[in-house]
Amino acid sequence: MKIAVVGKGGSGKTTTSAIVARVLARQGTAVVALDGDTNPNLGLSLGIGVEETERLVGMRQALDAAEGEHAADWDSLLDLFGSDGPDGVRFAVVSQIDNPEPGCP
Amino acid sequence: MRVAFVGKGGAGKSALAGTLARVLARTGEPVLVIDSDPMPGLALSLGFPATDAGIPDDATVERADGEDGPRYRLRPGLSAAKAIELYAVAGPDDVRLLQFGKLREHVGSLMRSQHAFHQIREELPVDRWHLVGDLPGGTRQPFFGWAQFATVVLVVVEPSEKGMLSARRLARLGDDEDGPAQILAVVNKSRHRDDAARVEAGTGLRVAVTVPWDEALADAERRGLAPIDAAPDSAAVGAVACLVTQLQAGAQP
Repeated sequence: MKIAVVGKGGSGKTTTSAIVARVLARQGTAVVALDGDTNPNLGLSLGIGVEETERLVGMRQALDAAEGEHAADWDSLLDLFGSDGPDGVRFAVVSQIDNPEPGCP
Repeated sequence: MRVAFVGKGGAGKSALAGTLARVLARTGEPVLVIDSDPMPGLALSLGFPATDAGIPDDATVERADGEDGPRYRLRPGLSAAKAIELYAVAGPDDVRLLQFGKLREHVGSLMRSQHAFHQIREELPVDRWHLVGDLPGGTRQPFFGWAQFATVVLVVVEPSEKGMLSARRLARLGDDEDGPAQILAVVNKSRHRDDAARVEAGTGLRVAVTVPWDEALADAERRGLAPIDAAPDSAAVGAVACLVTQLQAGAQP
């Protein structure tokens, strides 16, 4: 399943997202958590910590500023830009979540 | 004074901005509040009836071929001061509110309003009004257009790790040569005595005031009422009054 969480500032999007991700992971599901917020705090709520969260945010900023090397293909995106969090949740900070038509790269 | 509120979503920018504007207006000063958040909210915290009133599309004209500048600007003959007279709404304590168009359908529909808004802010006679700005939540380009305009930027911080991380990001953005003259932290929803010290240590910002967690303020927000109307004697409103006194003292050295 693919879940997107939206809402007003301060309503609890980040906290809710993190708990949903951790609960699913504890049930044995492979979970990827993506932080697309302009103020990316999801790493803290997942339990990944400030330093690792800021490291991933820094990588996103470098890509946004066209300073970093992007992933060669979809499969390596999470290897390059992701981090493993508690309960095995794979976490990445992203600029945009595209949903390409089949056949797109 | 020209004050802009920034901060993480939900930190309490609108509630504090609305209250500060009302407190300032009660000292007899003319106050113009500028809401540049496309989500609704500030009008309620000010005690205005909920309103979508903004800058109408026909206040602007599109740039002609061969002209420079932004795509839309105020129509010929419409000055910033006149636009405020026409489009700012008057409310309690004679506070005036100029709203950015509210998000109804899609962001694209706000472009005319947005350009007019920036032009009004740039061309506004600075000595006519005290200005209180409520900026969109988050940390992406929060000072866009405001950095040179505001004399004080207040970063509203909830004393949580997430709140402080957001405030650090904001402080970094403001800390360049194009940044605002002064950036201060306002600790909001504080429940512990060491919150101000933690926020100063965690953000590097000086804390101007600590607003305590206040059930009366939360209740006012829940009911959609202005804190200063629903809970005039609450500790939170009192803390904002202290902030006003402090800013007034700072503005007149």
